Amino acid sequence: MECIASVNKLRLKFPEEKGLLFKDLSISFQEGEKVLLLGPSGCGKSTLLQVLSGLIPQSIDIPIKSESIQIPYSWGFVFQDPDSQFCMPYVDEEIAFVLENLQIPREEMTVKIKELLTTVGLCLDDIHTEIQTLSGGMKQRLALATVLALDPEVIFLDEPTALIDEEGTAEVWDTVKAISKDKTIIIVEHKIDQIIDVIDRVIVFTHDGKIMADGNSTYIFSNFKEELKRFGIWYPSAWEEYKKEKVQNTLTKHSDSLLRLENFRGYRKKENAITLEKAAVHSGEWIAVTGANGAGKSTLLLSLMQLLKTSGDYRIDGCSIKSFADLNNRAYFVFQNPEYQFLTNSVLEEITYELRQRNEESHADVFKKANDLLTIFGLKDKQKQHPYHLSLGEKRRLSVATAFIQNPQVLLLDEPTFGQDSKNTFKLLELLQEESQKGTIIIMVTHDLNIIHHFATTVWKVKNGKVITDWKKDDMKTGSEGDVYEYIF
Amino acid sequence: MSNRLKLTDILVTIVISIGFGILYKIWGPLYYAVKPLGIHIDQLIYGMWFMAATVAFLIIRKPGVALLAEVAASSGEFLMGSEFGLEVLLYGIIQGLFAELLLMAFRYKRYDLLAVSMAGISSCIGSLILDFYKGYIGDLSTWNLILYMAFRFIGTILFTGVLAISIVKALEATGVTNLVRSSSQKDFNSLDQ
Amino acid sequence: MNISFEESWLHKVNPALKLITLTFLFVFVVMIHHLNDMITFTFTVSILFFFCTGHSYKRILLFLIPFLLVFFSTAVSMILFGKGETTLFKLGIVNVTEESLFRGLHLGFRALVFAMMGMTFVLTTKPVLLFYSLMQQLKLQPKYAYSFMAAIRLMPIMFEELQTILDAQKVRGVHSQKGIRSLLKDIKSLPIPLLSQSIRRAFRIAVAMEAKRFNSTNERTYYYHLGFSIFDLLFIGYFILMISLGYLFATEFPLFPVTDVRY
Ligand SMILES: Nc1ncnc2c1ncn2[C@@H]1O[C@H](COP(=O)(O)OP(=O)(O)OP(=O)(O)O)[C@@H](O)[C@H]1O
Ligand SMILES: Nc1ncnc2c1ncn2[C@@H]1O[C@H](COP(=O)(O)OP(=O)(O)OP(=O)(O)O)[C@@H](O)[C@H]1O
Ligand SMILES: [Mg+2]
Ligand SMILES: [Mg+2]
Repeated sequence: MECIASVNKLRLKFPEEKGLLFKDLSISFQEGEKVLLLGPSGCGKSTLLQVLSGLIPQSIDIPIKSESIQIPYSWGFVFQDPDSQFCMPYVDEEIAFVLENLQIPREEMTVKIKELLTTVGLCLDDIHTEIQTLSGGMKQRLALATVLALDPEVIFLDEPTALIDEEGTAEVWDTVKAISKDKTIIIVEHKIDQIIDVIDRVIVFTHDGKIMADGNSTYIFSNFKEELKRFGIWYPSAWEEYKKEKVQNTLTKHSDSLLRLENFRGYRKKENAITLEKAAVHSGEWIAVTGANGAGKSTLLLSLMQLLKTSGDYRIDGCSIKSFADLNNRAYFVFQNPEYQFLTNSVLEEITYELRQRNEESHADVFKKANDLLTIFGLKDKQKQHPYHLSLGEKRRLSVATAFIQNPQVLLLDEPTFGQDSKNTFKLLELLQEESQKGTIIIMVTHDLNIIHHFATTVWKVKNGKVITDWKKDDMKTGSEGDVYEYIF
Repeated sequence: MSNRLKLTDILVTIVISIGFGILYKIWGPLYYAVKPLGIHIDQLIYGMWFMAATVAFLIIRKPGVALLAEVAASSGEFLMGSEFGLEVLLYGIIQGLFAELLLMAFRYKRYDLLAVSMAGISSCIGSLILDFYKGYIGDLSTWNLILYMAFRFIGTILFTGVLAISIVKALEATGVTNLVRSSSQKDFNSLDQ
Repeated sequence: MNISFEESWLHKVNPALKLITLTFLFVFVVMIHHLNDMITFTFTVSILFFFCTGHSYKRILLFLIPFLLVFFSTAVSMILFGKGETTLFKLGIVNVTEESLFRGLHLGFRALVFAMMGMTFVLTTKPVLLFYSLMQQLKLQPKYAYSFMAAIRLMPIMFEELQTILDAQKVRGVHSQKGIRSLLKDIKSLPIPLLSQSIRRAFRIAVAMEAKRFNSTNERTYYYHLGFSIFDLLFIGYFILMISLGYLFATEFPLFPVTDVRY
C-alpha cells in the first residue's frame, strides 16, 4: 500500500490565539484505508481535515508550518453544514458545476448527473429540483454526489450527519458504504454506532491535539476503553456503561399540570404548519420531541415560544399565552443553529448577557454562576474567545449554557446534543435532569433513541405537521429494538 | 501575500453587495417618496447608494473591490426589478469606478475616515456627471442646483464615511474580517514558539 | 422568485444580446431630446412590457404602480424649479414655465422607459442563464459569474436568516424595552449579525467551491449552451422597425409643439 496523504511535524496556530493548536503533529494515511478520527470536541479534528486537503492554507488563510506535507492528488470534501456548500440553485446545476470544472463535455452531463444521483440513492422525479426544497439528509446525499463526480482518491467527511435525523443518518452512511470501495475515506464523527463496521483504522486525539492511540477499531475499542471514557469520547458501549454507573432517577411526580394546550396550532405564512390536539404537562416533565427531518419539530417549538402565529388555548400556570410578551420570561428557547443566538463578542459576555440585561443579581453572583457553567462545559479556557471562533460542539454547548443561567418554567431545546462528545452529552443531560427535578418542564427535540429511553418521561412524535402526544415511553420499550425504531420514525 | 482578488474575496464582496442591493431596492421608494418635496431633501439620503463600495473595501482592503461591490450591488438591485431599471447598472459602474480611482490614488493603503469619505465624494461626482446628462440638472435654477449638490455631498460623507466606518468597526469586533484578510508575517513567526 | 408564468419569445432571446441591446437603447434614450420622440418610444417599450413578458396582466399592473410614482416624482421637481422663459404659474420660489413643464414630462417619460425596459429584461431572463451567457458570449471570468450565481442563491436564505436572528434576539431579551431609543437600538442590533453571518456563509461557500475543484484559470465546459436564434433577430428587428415608425409618426403628427426640451 502506498501513502496517499500525510503531514510531518505540523504546527498550526489561529491568529490572535495564544497557544498552538497542533504542535509537531505527524500523521499519514495509506491508500484505501477507511479512517475515523475521534477526539473530544474542540481538539482540532475539523481543522486537521482542512489541512490534509490543502484547504488550509490555500483557501483559508491560516499560517501553518510542516516539514513535509502530502496532499492527495484528487479529493472530495463533505462539510457539516448542508446549507453552505452549494453554489447553484438547482440539483442538476450543482452537479453540473463540478462536471464543468472537470471539463466533461456537455452532451455527457445529463447522463452522468442521473447516474450519480442514483449512486447516492437520491431519487428525484425531476433532476431540475430546487436544492432549497430538499431535506437535510437529501442535501447531504447531494453533497456526496458532487464529491463522487470528482472521482476522488480520498474523501473527507466532517460530521456529515450532524444535522440530520436517524433515518437520514442511516441513509448517508449506507451511501458512504456503497461508494467506499477502493477509495480512501477519512471521517470525523462523534456518533460512531452506524459507521463502526466501515472503519478499519481509528485515530484518537487528546484534547490538546496530540495522537493518543492509532490502530484498527477492535484494538482501539478493547484496549483504550478507559482512556476513551476519561476523555469523554464515544465508544460502542458508552451508553450501556453510563446506565450501569448512574442510577436512573425516577421522576418525582408533580401532580399539578403546569402547561396546558388545547387545539393548539402554529402557522407559517398563514398556513397551518403544526397542530397539537390536547396536552397537559406536569412540572418536572421531560418531553422528547422526535420525528423525521422536516416533520415540524422546530416549528412546534417556535410556536410554543410564540415566535410564529398561533391559535388555540395555551396556558402556563393558568395564564393564557397569546403573544410573546405573555410568556414574560416563563420560557426560554435554544435554537437549532447556535450561531444565530450569539449577541456579544466573547464567551463570557455571552453567558452573562441576560443577567446583566436584567440586573437581577449582584455582580459577583453573576460571575460565580457563569464561571461554574463554563467549567462544567469545558469552556473555561475559551472565555475570552469570540463565540464564532469556537468549534461546532463548543458553539452548541455555549448556546445551551445560556439556558441554564435563566430560571424559566419551560425550557425548549432544539437538538441540544448534536456534535457533542460523550462527556459533554452526559453532562448536559445531567444538568437538564437537575433542572427538571427542580420542576422545570423540558421540551427537547432529539433524534437520539438513547436519550429518549433513558431521560425523557414523555415522547411527542411529530409527523407531517401533527403532534401525537399519547405515546407512552413504556409502550416504546416493549418489542424488539427494530420495532421501537419503526414506532418512532 | 498577493493583492489579486481570490474567489473568497469576490464571493464575499458580491454577497455583501447584493445585501446592499436589497437595501437599495427598499431605499428606492423611500427616495422617491421624499423627492416630490422638491427642495431635494431626497439628496441627503442619496449617499446610501455609494456605501457598498466603501464598506466592502474596508472589509477586504484590496484593489478592485470597490468597483466590484458597486457593480454587484447595482446588479442585485436591477435583478430585483428596480424602479430605476437599467439606469442603476450604469450608475453603479460609474460610481464604483470613481471610488476605485480615488482609493487607487491612496495606493489602497488608507482605510480611514478621510480616504473613504473622499472615495464617496468621488462616486458622488460621478453620479452628478451622469445626472447632468440624464436628468438635465444643469437646467435647474442655480440656487436649486446648489442645494441639490450640497445635500448630496453631505449625505455622502455621512453614509460612505461615518456610517461605513462604524459598521466595519463593529464587524471587526466580531472577528469575521479575519477570514478575508491575509495573515501577517507575525502570525507566521509565532509558530516557532 | 418563485412565481409562475408562461415562457414568451422574449425568454428565448440570448440574454447577453438582450442586455447589450437594452444598453444601446439606454444610450439612445439619453440622446432623445424631443418630447414627441420620447412618447413614441415609450409606446414601443410599453408594448413589450405589457404584452410580451408572459406574466399575468395583474402582476404587470402591480409593477406599474411604483413606476408611476417614479414618473411623477421625477417630473415634478423639474416642472417646479426648472429654468424657462414662458411662465405659466408662479408662487414664491415655485416657477412653472412652459419649457420646464415639457422638460419635466420628458424626464418623467424617460424614467418610465428605463424602468419598463429594466423590468422587461428581469421578467424574461433567468439569472443563471444570464451569467452563463455572459461567460460564453462576453467572456466574463467564471469566478465572477459563479460568485454572482451563488450570491443570488443565498438571497432567500438571507431573508430567512434575518427572521431567525430577530427571533433569537427576542428570546434573549434584546427587544424587550419600549420607546424610541430602544427602537433605534433594535435597528442597530440587526445589520451587524446579518452582515457577519452572510460573510461567514459566503466564505464557507467559496471554500466549498474550491473544494469542488473550481479553478478560474482552467478552460471549462458549460451545462447550458447559449447560442443565437431567430428570436434575437426578431428582438432587434422589433426595435429598429418601431423606432423608425415612431420617428415618422412624431414628425408627421407631433402631439406637442416643442422641439428640444433642453434649455
Ligand atoms: N477561526 C478561529 N479562531 C480561533 N480559534 C479557532 C478558530 N477556529 C477554531 N478555533 C479553535 O480551534 C479548536 C479546534 O477547532 P475544530 O473546529 O478543529 O475542533 P473539532 O475537533 O472539530 O471540534 P468539534 O468536535 O466540536 O467539531 C477549537 O478549540 C476552537 O475554539
Ligand atoms: N422559514 C420557513 N418558511 C416556510 N416554511 C418553512 C420554514 N422553515 C421550515 N419550513 C417548512 O416547515 C416544515 C417543518 O419544518 P421544521 O423546520 O419544523 O422541521 P423539523 O422537524 O425541525 O426538521 P429538522 O429535523 O430538519 O430540524 C418543513 O416542511 C419546512 O420545509
Ligand atoms: Mg468539528
Ligand atoms: Mg428542526
